[in-house]
Amino acid sequence: MLDILSLLDISFFLLAALGALVGIIFGAIPGMTATMAVAVCLPLTYALGLNHGLALLLGLYVGGISGGMVPAVLLNIPGTPSSITTTFDGYPMAQKGEGERALKVCVVASLVGGLLSAAVLFLFAPLLAEFSIKFSYVEKFLIILLALTVIASMSRNMLVGIFSGVLGIWLSLIGTYSISDGGNGHTRLMFDFLEPYLFDGFSLLPVLIGIFGIATILLEAEEGIKGGLGGKHVEFGKGSGFSFGLFKGRLTNLVRSSFIGTFVGMLPGVGGSAASVLAYTQEKNLARDSSEMGKGAPQGLIASESANNALTGGALIPLLSLGIPGDSTTAVLIGAFTLQGIQVGPLFIPENADTWYVMMTALVFANVVMFFLMFYAIKHIAKVVLVPKYILYPIIVMMCVVGAYAINYGIMFDVWTLLIFGVLGYLIQKVGLEVAPLIIGFILGGQAEVYFVKSLESFGTYSIFFTKSPIAVVLWLLIAASVAFSVIISLKGRAKRQAEAF
Amino acid sequence: MSMPSIYKTLGTSVLMAGMAFGGSAAMAADAHLPGNVRVVIGSTSTGGDTYQNSSIVADALAKHLDINMKVDAVGASSAFRFLDRDPRGNTLMIFHDQSYLGNLYGVEGYSDIFDKYTIGPTVAINPGNAYLVPKDSPYQTLDDVIEAVGNGEEVRVAIQPGGVSEIGFSALKNAIALEHPGMEDNLVAVNTGSQADKNQQLFDGQADMINGTVQANEQYTRLPADDQKAMRFLWLTARESTIAQAPEDGLGQTTREQLLQYVEPNVTVPMGNGDNFTFDKEFFFLFNKDMDPAIVDQIDQALTEIYADGEIQETQKNAFFIPDFKPSDEAAEYLETKMSVYKDIITNIQ
Repeated sequence: MLDILSLLDISFFLLAALGALVGIIFGAIPGMTATMAVAVCLPLTYALGLNHGLALLLGLYVGGISGGMVPAVLLNIPGTPSSITTTFDGYPMAQKGEGERALKVCVVASLVGGLLSAAVLFLFAPLLAEFSIKFSYVEKFLIILLALTVIASMSRNMLVGIFSGVLGIWLSLIGTYSISDGGNGHTRLMFDFLEPYLFDGFSLLPVLIGIFGIATILLEAEEGIKGGLGGKHVEFGKGSGFSFGLFKGRLTNLVRSSFIGTFVGMLPGVGGSAASVLAYTQEKNLARDSSEMGKGAPQGLIASESANNALTGGALIPLLSLGIPGDSTTAVLIGAFTLQGIQVGPLFIPENADTWYVMMTALVFANVVMFFLMFYAIKHIAKVVLVPKYILYPIIVMMCVVGAYAINYGIMFDVWTLLIFGVLGYLIQKVGLEVAPLIIGFILGGQAEVYFVKSLESFGTYSIFFTKSPIAVVLWLLIAASVAFSVIISLKGRAKRQAEAF
Repeated sequence: MSMPSIYKTLGTSVLMAGMAFGGSAAMAADAHLPGNVRVVIGSTSTGGDTYQNSSIVADALAKHLDINMKVDAVGASSAFRFLDRDPRGNTLMIFHDQSYLGNLYGVEGYSDIFDKYTIGPTVAINPGNAYLVPKDSPYQTLDDVIEAVGNGEEVRVAIQPGGVSEIGFSALKNAIALEHPGMEDNLVAVNTGSQADKNQQLFDGQADMINGTVQANEQYTRLPADDQKAMRFLWLTARESTIAQAPEDGLGQTTREQLLQYVEPNVTVPMGNGDNFTFDKEFFFLFNKDMDPAIVDQIDQALTEIYADGEIQETQKNAFFIPDFKPSDEAAEYLETKMSVYKDIITNIQ
């Protein structure tokens, strides 16, 4: 034990704190992600050594995932893909002048999610890794399908919502079924002249920023300049203030969402966005009153943010106990180990106990630093919405363009993607389609295809989706329940509206 | 700090920056290679061997030439595209045998690198390409597998199609076709993606053998036999002489001596021409065809000096790479010969 304490010097903690701060900034800038922050700083681990390097990288990871909430709430732009569900309730709250309150709810939820998942990682990593390998292609497909059912419950009009979702899935299939995923690598759903640009399909982040950020700006621009956003709408202080009382009665949501985040994080190949989407769906289905969700309800923020921060601990489970990264950021993180000549695999924890404890310390510390940095800085950050729009929006557009250009190391087509989806986002709202289902379809569509095809390739029959394992059966029950809840909620809503009309 | 001293400091800084800039510009003009070089690699992973090895080489070159070099994990198709449009030497590429195997297997996005690019120096080998079975598998040796397939038994092998992961599988299939004509179709490829996917296929019982690496799978081979995840090496495709250069301690807790059990001639996959198949995954530079040949010479020269120094070999070996420097001309000839051997195998089994 003393050995470990001797590894934890002051610079260790300073690096973790610095990582969290830089991560938050990366996460908060649309187009910059936690993955990028970790990738940019990866070569530093050569100079810093493994333990100090890990402190910095884990700080960046936690900070980067958390920072995404800021633009999601204040500007309706998910700073990272996993904060997409944060926009659903965060932005409406910010518009009502409750930006600060929304952000504080997010920060507390993030802290709880991060710490709970760290605890799960520490106590159950090898056991859960054992469990996670029971999830083959079939179960992973069903998880994605479960997450897709959110489309039904989130739509204002279910039919339009489902149509939008299908459209999103269709958009995600543009490109190729990659050879590295076992596909034929032929381009599809495009004209020949587009092949050089769309070989890998539309890039996720420019699509997200375009459809949320640019479209929002276009819609606002349509209204013209009305003397800035108008400080009168934004009430700081009493009335809309934050208190921990907000979490009263929300403990189940907080804990459930944290566990969902951890769980999805530990399934390799099921992306981070699925975690917050899944947590959001479950809250929508299981809460006593979820009618306000999507219109500015703190419970939506709690679900989304606790789940996406819980990803951090979850994604480290397969990394440290199987040598398999749980998400894109941990896939970069694995480089820190290989650069130092350390193998990660099923024997990593027993053979590198010191590194393991050091990582846990860094993870917990980074979460705490993230909390204090954000909780006390939010009052000032939230004032961003007070900046007049004619100054704020050009700056945002510029950041979006830079972010889109940088995301794949300098591809100009990503900037065009940003513009195309910005205009598309604007148009689909004009014709009455729904953005949220479309984007969820887009995010999950590609994975759904790969897992579906691979399930069939492996087992050769459709019935395998029902008979593969008890886990598959449980997932089907959850899917059925999720769809049923959505229908019931929708019918109830209609009945209520009709009753009000009379 | 008083105002005048601030001006003084600022002035000095500007002067120094100017000198530094002038100095590096002058040096770059002499030496051809620009002061800022981007090394793109054919992999999107920063946790993989391509990134790791490229970082080691780029760091050494940058230090030696006093320039900036940055490795970007952009992936194969992007890397080729970046290289295509930059003849100035600001973009270089490091990749491995996948660059021509992709073309041999007809993967979209891969063209004939020997025709389209200038082949640069080779720098290292990753000797870890391996085939593994579950620890409780009935197949004790690769011969058992060949025998079983020859007897009509179906053996499923999880690979990532279209390159390095498939070449060993193709060679095995070719060997079976030679020894047991007509039975080779019983060796079935299970097309997967990442290493995680391949492992998962083994855990699920959907594959009888998987392609893997010593680095990624060594710990799995040390798990107790009753563990569902436990694996066993059956074959390392590297040449015996390559593994013989690995550090004596090997990797993890598997020594060099143990690793040598799994290479040719202990494990043989005949190619039909009297030789046995081996495959070393070799890393090398690729340059834009129109890039100034003086830059190629400069890189060759710099690497010759770096390798003569001997320090880089230590770094590479510590990371389980086998140093393997060949200057551009030699590398191009060597790789083209290597490619033609694999071309024959792939043609044979089609």
